[in-house]
Amino acid sequence: MALVNAQIKRGSAELAVLTLLAEHALHGYEIAKQIEEQTGGVLRFDMASLYPMLHRLERKSWVNAEWQTLPNGRRRRCYRLTASGRKQIGPLRAQWRAFFQALQSVTGFQNA
Amino acid sequence: MPNWTQIVRKKLGVLEICSPEFTEELAAHLEDRYEALRCEGLSAEVALQHTIGQIEGRCRVWLVIRFLQEELMSGFITKIALPGLLTSAAAFVFYWALALDHIQPRVIWLLGGQLPLWWWCLLPICGALGALLSQRKGRSRLQGMAASLLPSAILCSLVLLIFVVGFTMSGFVNHYQLVSARLESLGIVPPGFGLVPAAFSLLGAGIAEVSTKTSRLA
Repeated sequence: MALVNAQIKRGSAELAVLTLLAEHALHGYEIAKQIEEQTGGVLRFDMASLYPMLHRLERKSWVNAEWQTLPNGRRRRCYRLTASGRKQIGPLRAQWRAFFQALQSVTGFQNA
Repeated sequence: MPNWTQIVRKKLGVLEICSPEFTEELAAHLEDRYEALRCEGLSAEVALQHTIGQIEGRCRVWLVIRFLQEELMSGFITKIALPGLLTSAAAFVFYWALALDHIQPRVIWLLGGQLPLWWWCLLPICGALGALLSQRKGRSRLQGMAASLLPSAILCSLVLLIFVVGFTMSGFVNHYQLVSARLESLGIVPPGFGLVPAAFSLLGAGIAEVSTKTSRLA
């Protein structure tokens, strides 16, 4: 499987995380794991890219984070989408859709 | 089970400048990763090596850079640049006030150079000012430190620029004494106007941090 260029990956990361958190609250490791599983390993977050991004989203108030104690007694910092974050998903999706359509029209990569 | 919090603190202790929560969160991530690897059938030793590999070597450097970069660039203008510039203005006003004839600073002599001792003594006030102004904008500890260090950074850059220009000009006139005098003062001026002021400013930022914590607890 071809690996996606780092710049594209970075740009798409916020949308991927927000979309995932729209379904349910998750902690960092779960976010990384689910994205990797759902994309068949194409999108893979290491700690250096995931956590700074999550903290950036938190500062933008797109997500809320709070420490929760799991049934096994361990503490995990769970991220939950805020109303403001939910509003961002639509425009971000539209931007990416426009980007892919533009790319398709130039490269015709859907037929490749 | 390894103590992941301790391991992360040992390897990434610098991140606690930003927030103690960072290390705890990263430790939780590593703990989950380690358990997942164990569930996949890896031995404890191999799983430990794989997991620690995420915070070692290049990964470790990259992790620290990304965290600090993110921390410094978020709200840079309001939390660092503006408080830092106000702090710089205060520091330079102090310096010029002390440099006036009537209240000339008492300097100490070291290695034949003059160092502005009284100015240094006033710098903790500037450092505290920077940290407190930054704090009003909801800064982190690292951002407060950056705001209080800005005067030293500006001064250090100016001094280095002056040296570069000076050396270039000395080279043109080919004057041995001028060059040797500049080389001699190179050992005095950057520490005197860069490193030591930075330390004194940090002292002020530290005092501001402690006093804020104390008042919060009270």
